[in-house]
Parts: sequence; structure tokens; C-alpha cells
Amino acid sequence: MPSVSTQITWIVVGYAALVAVLAIVVAARGLERPSWLDQMAWMLQLLLVVRALAGLGPLLGDDHPDSTSTYVGYLFAAVCVLPIAIRSVDGDRATWSSAVLAVAAVAVGVIAVRLEMTA
Amino acid sequence: MSPVATERRSGPHQVLLAFYALFTLAAGARAIVQLTTQYDDAPVAYWLSLAAAVTYALGWYAIRSAAAGDTRFASVMLWVELAGVVTVGTLSLVVRDWFPDASVWSDYGIGYGFVPAVLPIAGLLWLRRQKSTHLARN
Repeated sequence: MPSVSTQITWIVVGYAALVAVLAIVVAARGLERPSWLDQMAWMLQLLLVVRALAGLGPLLGDDHPDSTSTYVGYLFAAVCVLPIAIRSVDGDRATWSSAVLAVAAVAVGVIAVRLEMTA
Repeated sequence: MSPVATERRSGPHQVLLAFYALFTLAAGARAIVQLTTQYDDAPVAYWLSLAAAVTYALGWYAIRSAAAGDTRFASVMLWVELAGVVTVGTLSLVVRDWFPDASVWSDYGIGYGFVPAVLPIAGLLWLRRQKSTHLARN
């Protein structure tokens, strides 16, 4: 059975993909960014924080990652990217702001996979 | 915020800016880690990754300036970036010895789903549209 952190990673990746697809659909339809998309993005951020906390395990235990600096970089990026993206579209609910969230959601999904690969 | 200000702030350049910020972070972090921890493995590739990170940072600034109306820097910077991706991508295929490890632009950015190759082209297309919009306004 996969470890808890691996299971959280796949939940993060699946949820990030869902957020990205919905954000792209909203942008493609030319709609203003709905508040539920923001709520979904913050929920994704919460999952990323949980993943990052679970990711502290390998750093504190005996089984260190192959490249600690790379691993810490991915941990840091995993929790920083989405808030920066949300902040950058703060007060702007125009169509393209949803596309920015889509880019950020794809990015954190990829970061979560890379984090798992380097653990 | 006035409708004109919102119009100027919002647009496809926001997506480009998001990508450029991400790639500045990704390429920069990668280059710094590789240059500091495994420099002797592939110094050329790692320095080129750092050059890519600097290019993305400048590209981010260039697009931001172009969105505000000043397209001069972006007109140069996006071509420089495209030339970098094409040159490094081609060299990584032709002179394999120079790249024992991959750089960000190796094989035209295959490690990043070819986004590094698509990004300057998308930027130049946006810039072309931005210039015509700017001309039409004036």
C-alpha cells in the first residue's frame, strides 16, 4: 500500500487537474471568475499545505531524500505558487484571471509529482 | 478601478506573466541547486539554465512593460529568448558532449513539455497584437 504522503500527492494531483479544467472552461466561455473557483483554489492550497507537512517527514527522519535542496525547493514552491497566483488576480474577476489560476493549478500538480519523485 | 484600467490590467498577458514567473522560479532554483551541488557534472548546461532563468525574469519585465504600452524591450527580449531556445536546443542535439546533463532549453525544452519553445512564440504573437492595438488607440 502506498505511503500516506503518496496518497495525499495523488489527491492533490487529481484535485489540481479538476481546478485547472474548470478554470479553463470558465475562461474559454468568457465568463467572469466565479467565487467558487477561488474557494476551490484555496481548498487546493489547503491540500498542498497538508502535503507539505507530510513531506517534512523525510527531512526529519533517517531516510533523507537523494537531493535535500531540490526536495526543500519543491516543498517551498508547492505552498507558495498558488497564493502568489491568487494574489496576482486579486480584485480582477475578468476572464483571463481564471486562466492564471489554471496555470497555477497545473504548476502545483506538476510540483506535487516532482516532490513525490524526489522524496 | 476604472473600466480602462481593468481592460489594461486584464488580458492574455496575465497568463504569459504567470508562465514567465513560474519559469523564472523553476529555472533559477534548478540552476542554483545544480551549480552549487554538482557543478563539475555539466557546467555548460547549468550555466545555460541560469541564463534561461535570467532571460525569463527579463521576459516577465518586458511583457509587463509591453502591457503598459511600452513594447520596445519586449520586441528585443522575446526574440533573444527564442534565439536562445533554438540555439541551445539545436546544440544539445548536435553536440551531445557539451550536455552530459540537461539544461532547461535542452532538446527545445522537452523536460518541461516544450513550454520553453512555445512561450516566446506565444509572447511574440501577443506582442504583435498588442502593437496593433496600441497603434489603433493612438
